[in-house]
Amino acid sequence: MAHLTDGTLRRMVDDPDVARGDRAHLEECADCKARFQSIDGDARSIATLLAVPEAQVDVPSAFRRVSSAPAAQPRFGFRWPVAAPRSRPFVLAFAAVIAAVGLLATGVAVNFRGNWTPTTVTPVPVTVADVQALSQLADYGSVTWTKQPTLQIVTNPADASAAAGGLQPPTVSKLPSGVSTTVTYGAMTQAQAVFTFSSDKASAAAAAHGKTLPALPKGIDGAQLTVTVGPAVAEIFGNLKQASGSDVSEASLPQLVVAESSAPTATSTQVTVKQIEDYLLSVPGISKELKAAIQAIGDPSTTLLIPIPVQYATSTTITVQGVKGVALGDNTGVGSAVIWEKNHVVYVVAGSIKQSDAINIANNLK
Amino acid sequence: MNLGARRMTAASSEEAAFEALFTSEYARVVCIANRVLADTHEAEDVAQEVFIDFHRLHSARADYAPAWLRRAAAHTALNRLRGSRRRQKREVAHVLREGDRTLDPQQQAEVEEDRRLVRAALARLAPKPAAVLVLRASGLSYAEVAQALGVGIGQVGTLLRRAEAALRKEVTRGTSN
Repeated sequence: MAHLTDGTLRRMVDDPDVARGDRAHLEECADCKARFQSIDGDARSIATLLAVPEAQVDVPSAFRRVSSAPAAQPRFGFRWPVAAPRSRPFVLAFAAVIAAVGLLATGVAVNFRGNWTPTTVTPVPVTVADVQALSQLADYGSVTWTKQPTLQIVTNPADASAAAGGLQPPTVSKLPSGVSTTVTYGAMTQAQAVFTFSSDKASAAAAAHGKTLPALPKGIDGAQLTVTVGPAVAEIFGNLKQASGSDVSEASLPQLVVAESSAPTATSTQVTVKQIEDYLLSVPGISKELKAAIQAIGDPSTTLLIPIPVQYATSTTITVQGVKGVALGDNTGVGSAVIWEKNHVVYVVAGSIKQSDAINIANNLK
Repeated sequence: MNLGARRMTAASSEEAAFEALFTSEYARVVCIANRVLADTHEAEDVAQEVFIDFHRLHSARADYAPAWLRRAAAHTALNRLRGSRRRQKREVAHVLREGDRTLDPQQQAEVEEDRRLVRAALARLAPKPAAVLVLRASGLSYAEVAQALGVGIGQVGTLLRRAEAALRKEVTRGTSN
């Protein structure tokens, strides 16, 4: 019989009643016996070293502390969009961030001679400082909606599809164990917004913030950026805890969200890619990582930037359904997401599931 | 039942499930953190942080809840141990507990020094071996350790053995410095 492995010998220290064959081998084999003694000795000395006085806990009072804690502050100043409470200031702040990041993405990508229609996705790292810096860009002009988005939560796929202009919700072939089969559907109509740059507003905003922001490039004043997003549909698995009143801590992340949206498109007037890119990257507060990532993009006119909070998640480029996608794994193991684009549709699979499960769902989505 | 009432019922039963989970797992989670930090107060801090994090993102009825909490307790406590926030002074001040009071001052000093050395060594280990040691030392069975770390039960003996060898090496290195 072959010698016992270290792992088996270690287990025998804790559980002498393991397989009889192993025990018999140990009795007869001098080599294994010597290794067992050394492993046993190590195990005992480590147990002594790690010994601590027992902690006495008062569970009811600890529970009261946890229940009354001002919980659920987003750890890095970020919160997943689906966890956003319905409170107006928060939604506005969130919309500003989305708009700013969207502006960056499209600003970098737009080719003034044509339209921006991304065909692939690329992750870019974003810091809290980047988001704050980019939020200021919302003050650089005015936004008008030419098509307002409307959002609906419905209980069946047919209603969702009808609300989202005929876009069919994707079908998940197999849910990972532990994910609730309770499903609700979200639908968003197509939305279109026009951002008009204004030099006057930009300098006023800079003055109001007491900061010196770089002057807008010549000729950009009055330039218009038209961005179209959606329609989009999402399947939301798990019980969405409802926010009671304005209590932010009540909002929670559903176990799994599978969403698809027509890829965003953009057109612009008066502006060149280079001008916008140079300008955006000169805004104070933009991190080196983000600059480097954006400058490394080969052809911005076909790329959809996926902003990834650097401290929050790690991202890797993967192949999903035969195309390039981005997989995000949260460092704490609490959540993951996969994002990809195929045939001008952007897909997202996200939730409090393992990354391998998210990739699996993505690959089997119909 | 209308939709609003149904939501309220769902929310209150989720709260009840969370309280039940807290009651059954809190002592174990503190025990794991205390094993790392040798400091009951800080261990309770870690445990509460872990429960709040869990509650924010997961359903208390999830099958994986105990395993998640235990792993998070080990990793959060180990992160604190590695972090600069933790000051040596606090570490030494808090290790004295009921169980140590029978020791004379000389023995007490030795126990404290050993604990300091072993915690410094633990902080230098890679996250997985450190977590294996802490979870097993906190009384988790091989099956529970396997669940918490998402590994096969057959791997636990091997992981444990390697982790013990690594810790012993680190402790020796710490002592000889």
